[in-house]
Formats: sequence, structure tokens, C-alpha cells
Amino acid sequence: MSASDPARRPMRRTIRGGRPYFFDDPAIDKILNMVVVLGSEVWTLRERLAALEAIQVRQGSLASGELDAHDFSTEDEARLAGERKEFIDSLFRVLQVQVEEPRTQPVKAKAKPKAKPKGKTARRPTSAAKGRKTRR
Amino acid sequence: MLDLKHELKLDKTRDEKARMNFVSGLRAHVLNDMASGMRAVWDAEVEPAFRRSRGRRPKDGPEVHAALKPNECFKFYSSLRVTTQDLVWQSVFPALERNRGALKEKAARLSRSSQSRSGKTRGTLALRPGFQVPRSVSALDVHLMAGNYDGEYEEGDLAAGSLYDNGLAVFSFGLMGQNLDDIGQSIAGFIKLKFPKLKPAKILDLGCTIGHNTGSWKDHFPAAEVHGIDVAAPCLRYAHARAQAQDRELHFHQMDAEALDFPDASFDVVFSSMFLHEVPRKGIERILAEAHRVLKPGGLMLHMELPPNSQLSPYDAFYLDWDGAYNNEPFYKPFRDLKPEDICRRAGFAPEKYLQFVIPSVGWYGEKVWREAAERPPSVDSDKTGRLTDGILWYCFGAFK
Ligand SMILES: C[S@@+](CC[C@H](N)C(=O)[O-])C[C@H]1O[C@@H](n2cnc3c(N)ncnc32)[C@H](O)[C@@H]1O
Repeated sequence: MSASDPARRPMRRTIRGGRPYFFDDPAIDKILNMVVVLGSEVWTLRERLAALEAIQVRQGSLASGELDAHDFSTEDEARLAGERKEFIDSLFRVLQVQVEEPRTQPVKAKAKPKAKPKGKTARRPTSAAKGRKTRR
Repeated sequence: MLDLKHELKLDKTRDEKARMNFVSGLRAHVLNDMASGMRAVWDAEVEPAFRRSRGRRPKDGPEVHAALKPNECFKFYSSLRVTTQDLVWQSVFPALERNRGALKEKAARLSRSSQSRSGKTRGTLALRPGFQVPRSVSALDVHLMAGNYDGEYEEGDLAAGSLYDNGLAVFSFGLMGQNLDDIGQSIAGFIKLKFPKLKPAKILDLGCTIGHNTGSWKDHFPAAEVHGIDVAAPCLRYAHARAQAQDRELHFHQMDAEALDFPDASFDVVFSSMFLHEVPRKGIERILAEAHRVLKPGGLMLHMELPPNSQLSPYDAFYLDWDGAYNNEPFYKPFRDLKPEDICRRAGFAPEKYLQFVIPSVGWYGEKVWREAAERPPSVDSDKTGRLTDGILWYCFGAFK
């Protein structure tokens, strides 16, 4: 897949205000998100494979057993490694949201850390108490 | 998948198309299958439990919401719906990001020529340098759309318009028609059938975004001069190029619907679709007053919208208000809690001139059913009114001046 134009400032893809969570533990919503993204990629592969097979059958160029016997060239291996990384990043993109904020905060934010409850109860921020599920 | 039919469509890879197909399919599953599953659980379990404990039925949408919230089916429906909504836009970004340069060039070519592709039409675009976009748009990513309508990343940017056009194609899973104009086609055509004496010379579409429903008015009333206004420059640039590509003579202006720059009594029809629910309450009142001002006596104001809570069952009210609670739509429920007849009256329209219609989607039902509805419009209280689901019915209200 060709990359985006490096001369352009990329469009922002994160949502201001975050997204709402519904399960008692927001981790469940996040995992569900991953499952869906994974499903999307599985489906994408199936469509691609179907297209490939259709073309090959039309051209009569795929012999039986040929796919299973195939090994990738070094260049193909390297390209696939890059694409695999992109795939994994996209699978876990939902976790980035929480990480991105502190990353882009100026350093002075470190000097005054917000008091956060420790231990098991730390998984839900206090804003969840306002009736609406956590937004992160 | 539904692919755009005009020149500005993005060049997509096989995988990008497949991802969009998947998201569209998932949306259809969540909004048709899971939604009807949740309704079944409501009827069989949650509502009876509510009645047992409270000794009465729920009286409104918020009570239904509160009762369903702890239920697992609500959680899965909602969580999946949010994820899918996010993926609608995410499925567009990679192709859009790669196509931005090409898109800008195509649009520039289409916009530079004072004539459309075939040379038949002469649409216009009027942007205002230094225009102040209201905070209700500039401070929000409405329906989880990163960057919102007005996000600009470079000089003369129109990427937000493309994001909306392509995203809407994924989002609507076919229910808004091949050109995403089912609302416009269903309503403009219906009005022409219903009021054969109406011969508008000038038509105005408020909050027109990329003009996808503006053009239908030109199709049904070719003699009319059709104008669309919006606050978002990137969408208007895209709207203009899109209209040029589609060979429609439309006039786009950057303008705030709360303070229109048109003279009094200058339009025969003032229309909007899916607009008012994205405007704060005070703004809605001002917009209707402005519509009244710019309408000629005898002119028609018409807003295609979500149906008001006052006319729906508690469950259907809850179902539509879901977006207000979870889809970054802060003005949605306040709008739906208003009574359309009240706001029309307060804007200066005589109560006896108030009207509302439920119009079957012409794309879904076909011409015959749609024509019949012009004689006998269906009632508002239905689980298909204003709800993006198979068999959708469009709701609209307004008044003659
Ligand atoms: C949901 S879109 C409308 C979609 C379109 N009319 C349709 O039929 O699908 C809402 C639009 O209203 C615009 N908008 C919001 N506030 C506005 C205002 N005060 N004046 C004009 N346009 C406004 C936004 O920029 C956005 O393009």
C-alpha cells in the first residue's frame, strides 16, 4: 500500500472528547473494538483472496499445491513485515488514545501528577461517577 | 459497497474497499439485527420487570434508557455501535490521506472552470475570508467524525468534505441512495407532487454540507435558482466541485444560518435536512426566525429532521436519543424534546399554516408507494420514522408563510 503524502500535515484521526464505554470495565469495550477490527481484517483478506483466486482461475495459472509450496523472497518478506506492523498497530489503535494524551502533554505536567487511586479500583477514573461512562 | 458516482471519488485499493464493505455490513447488522434483538429483550424481559417493580409502564425515553442500561444486550449494541461509528471514518482516512493531493487538483480543475463538466451549468462558490465558525461546530467532533466539518489542514483544503461524502456512503449502507440524496429526492419530489401550484423561483438549503441533498431541488425544480449555505469552508469547496462534476447549477455560500446575508422575502422555499439537531437550542429559534424573514409571503419552510419525542413511543424516543447520549451529539436530545409546532409559531409562522409529513424513502419503497404517500402520508409514531433502518421513512415539518 503506498503511503500518504509526507509533505502534508496528516489529518487528525482521534476524536475530541474520546468515546463512551458501556461495560463495567472499559477494557471490555476496548477488547470488543479489537475483535471488530480483527474481524474487519479477516474479511478484507477473504475478499482479497477471492479476487486473487478469481483472477488466477480465469488465467488458468494456479496449479494445485502451488500456494502451499510457496516461499516468499527476501524483499517480499521485508515488505510483509512492514505491513504486519501496520496491521498490528491498527488492531491496538484503541489503546493508543490513552497513551497519546500524556505523550503530547508538555513536561511540566509531570511536576504535578494527578492523585490517582492505586490498586484494583484504579481502573475507572472518577468521571465515571457522573452517570456517563468513562471517556478516554 | 456503495461507491461514489462522481469524479471526486477516491482511488481505493482492494483492501480499502473491503474494509469499507465490512464496516457498512457491520452497521447494517447493528442497526437492523441487533436493534431488533434489543427491542425483543426489552419487550420480553426489561419492560415487564419495570412494570412489576414500578407498577406502571415507562413514561418516556429516559426511563427506558435507565432501565435498559444495565442489560448486556444494550451494552453490546452500544459498544459495537460506537466502534462501528468510529470505523466508518477510520475506513476512509487511509485512502483519503493518500488521495489528498489528487483530490485538490481535481477539485481545482472543476472549480476553476466557470462551467461544469459538460459546460451546461454555472455553479458558484462564495467563501468569506476571516469567517468565524460558531463554536457549536468548531469545538466538536460531531458523530465521532475527527476534524468535524470545518477542520482544515492546508490552504484551500476540502478533505473534510471528502471524508463526509465517503463516510456517509459507508455509514448509510445503501439507505441514502446511490448519490446519497435519497432524502432530497424523496422530499423535493414529494413536495412537487403535493403542491403542484408551487413554482419556486428561488430555493435555499440551510446547513447543506457537501450539497448532496441540495441538488435534488434543482432536479425537481429545474427552473429554480438553488442556493446552499453552510459555515464549513472545506465542505463548501467540496460541494461546489461535486456539483460541477454532477452537472448541477448550484450556488454555495459560507454563511451562518442564524444571520443570513439574504434580503427579506427573497426565497420561495427554505429547506434543511438533518441540520437543526446539530444546532444549539437558541440557534434553532434564530434560524427559524431567519427562515421566516427571507421567505416570500406564501413561501414554504421545510425541515427534514428526526421526529420529535412528543410524537413517539417511549421506546422509540429512547432509541433515537441514543445518539444524543453516546455519539457526540450534544444538541440532539434538546432539539428532539422541542415541539416543532411551537418553534414554528415562535418564529412567526401562523399555527394554522403548520404542516408535517412522513415521507417513505423513494429509493427503498419505489415510486408507487412513495406517490401513494403524497395522498395518505403514514403516521409519525413508527419504529421506522427517521431511523436508519430497512424501510426508512423521512420525517419533516415546517409551515407556509
Ligand atoms: C448533519 S450536517 C447536514 C447534512 C445535510 N444537510 C444532509 O442533508 O445530510 C450539519 C451541517 O450544518 C452545518 N452547520 C452547523 N451550524 C450551522 C449554522 N449555524 N449555519 C450554517 N450551517 C451550520 C455544519 O457545518 C454541517 O455541515
